[in-house]
Amino acid sequence: MSIRIYPKIECRAPTPASRAVRLIATIGLVLFAAACTQTKVFVSDTELPEISGTARVLLMPSDVQVSELTAAGLLEPNAAWTASARTNIETALNSLMSGRNARLVHYRSATGDDSIDESHLQAFKLHEAVGATILVHKYVPAMALPTKKDKFDWSMGEAATVLRHSFDADYALFVYFRDSFASSGRAALIIFSALLGVGIPGGQQTGFASLVDLRSGDVIWFNHLFTETGDLRKPDSAHSATESLLKNLPL
Amino acid sequence: MNPWRGLLALTMVALLAAGCVAQPVVDIKPGEQPPLDTDEAGFWMQMNRIEQRVRTSGRVVRDPELNAYLREIFCDLSPNYCGDIRLYIVRSPGFNAAMMANGTMQLWTGMLLRVQNEAQLAAVLGHELTHYLRRHTLQKWRDIRAKTDALVFFQFATTVVGLGIVGIVAQVATLGSIQAFNRDQERESDRVGFEMMAEAGYEPEAAPRIWDALVAEKEASYRPKGSIFFASHPTSEERRETLAEMAAAYQTTAAELGRKRFVEMTAGFRGGWLRDELRQRDFGAMQVVLDNLKQAGANLGELYYYQGELHRLRAETEEGDSDQAVTAYEKAIGLGGAPPEVYRALGLIHWSAKRESEAKLAFEAYLSAAAEAPDRAMIEHYLGQMQ
Repeated sequence: MSIRIYPKIECRAPTPASRAVRLIATIGLVLFAAACTQTKVFVSDTELPEISGTARVLLMPSDVQVSELTAAGLLEPNAAWTASARTNIETALNSLMSGRNARLVHYRSATGDDSIDESHLQAFKLHEAVGATILVHKYVPAMALPTKKDKFDWSMGEAATVLRHSFDADYALFVYFRDSFASSGRAALIIFSALLGVGIPGGQQTGFASLVDLRSGDVIWFNHLFTETGDLRKPDSAHSATESLLKNLPL
Repeated sequence: MNPWRGLLALTMVALLAAGCVAQPVVDIKPGEQPPLDTDEAGFWMQMNRIEQRVRTSGRVVRDPELNAYLREIFCDLSPNYCGDIRLYIVRSPGFNAAMMANGTMQLWTGMLLRVQNEAQLAAVLGHELTHYLRRHTLQKWRDIRAKTDALVFFQFATTVVGLGIVGIVAQVATLGSIQAFNRDQERESDRVGFEMMAEAGYEPEAAPRIWDALVAEKEASYRPKGSIFFASHPTSEERRETLAEMAAAYQTTAAELGRKRFVEMTAGFRGGWLRDELRQRDFGAMQVVLDNLKQAGANLGELYYYQGELHRLRAETEEGDSDQAVTAYEKAIGLGGAPPEVYRALGLIHWSAKRESEAKLAFEAYLSAAAEAPDRAMIEHYLGQMQ
């Protein structure tokens, strides 16, 4: 008899990982300032390791969610949109990486579906937590840490090596995207408000990517993207968003 | 009034009315998965992602026997949905369980600590399963979406005509209305869950008894009580009365409680769950939990140890509890079955009260009872200080 919780839309007692997810979501709002596509790259302070032509890059399953923005500003996750966005992003990643100095290794779970094996989940969750920390403390000026000033030395530590051993890879590339589109009700509200001179935001696209050295676990490159235009459901738009995100990737 | 504004306001009210049309929802069938282009599939996708994190959470109790036991009770209760639901035992104090849209059921150890038999456990499982099979997440989402959509248009319209204050009243009313919808779902889950457990052959009277305990706990709790207007669930009193009426009306010949096996299966975990509960420092509610367990009467020695712990911790803020702690610990030792820590706790109280010889005896008893005591060196150091 549940009793104090009911079927949930969101976890009541969040695990650190889900808290991280929420942080990432709020970052989009924090960075909501301009209408153009914004990206900002960070590169590790430690000298980048010499990358040979045969560097193997493990492409982790991209973490994508596309939602509909209701009139009231709530997000309704949309599975069909998410599935096409994910396909588009992975296609874009394949074509963008093929022209680079690396061989792409696709993550494959033991079950063959798009899940992540239990043995790799902790590394995946850890990366999510590290990524959220970077977003908060490196991209939000008010949250900048004194000890990380002019520094970029985040690391997943030894936890990353499990991916190296399982896939015989040198690096792992993690990609995260959230996109949303105004519902017809929201669109109407935006138009009516505009008539009165009030601006109400519509859908937003936010994403981040990071490249992890699987020997040391160090995050050697990190980029964040935010825009109010673009449509991950469309192959061309997904390609240009992914291209912006991978800008200056050191491979 | 400017006619432009009047027209705009009228349009908003029309949109508001459109938002209120509810779509009918039918029960989910065993094995059914929502088609990809539905709002329901969106929730499943989101919940699948959350479940992946739940699966590897450090708070999930992985003991295979306990998991198999709960699974068996669930599958006996509902063979049809056995394959659709994943149970996760979550180490957390407090009476709670939760159902996610995709079939992820979370059972809190604080709930397992409070139910006293398989019949009550089945009532909880049936309640949670009802949330799943009646698609409550989906219904609730559609309700929230329609109501908040209507609200923003209404607020927009009232602001346009200069009646912004009405919009604020509407906001409060909407919140209340969303919670009322939620309470109705809980009532439905209580009712259907009760029918499931009674039809499975469990003692119907066991269901309202859960709420006897929770009503007493609420009354004794240190926590403030909230208003029902914004409550997500009906009051415990109401739930008890409704279940009691249903139990009284239910005709049954052979009904079982399943107490013996329940006690056997959970005995090894109960101490840890009691400790989790104690750490909440809600001593009023904790006393009710202990009293109910004492009344049921399994391994009283352990219960008196935690009774002593309650007094010892409460002594930090309330006077006169140290002596009661000593009495409880001594009773626990007399009854047997208490963990070795009972001697250490007793020793610490005696020592701080400057009763050195009693403290010494207690610490020595601790070291001989707990051969693997991780704090052996510390206790030996204490003993050294006494000589």
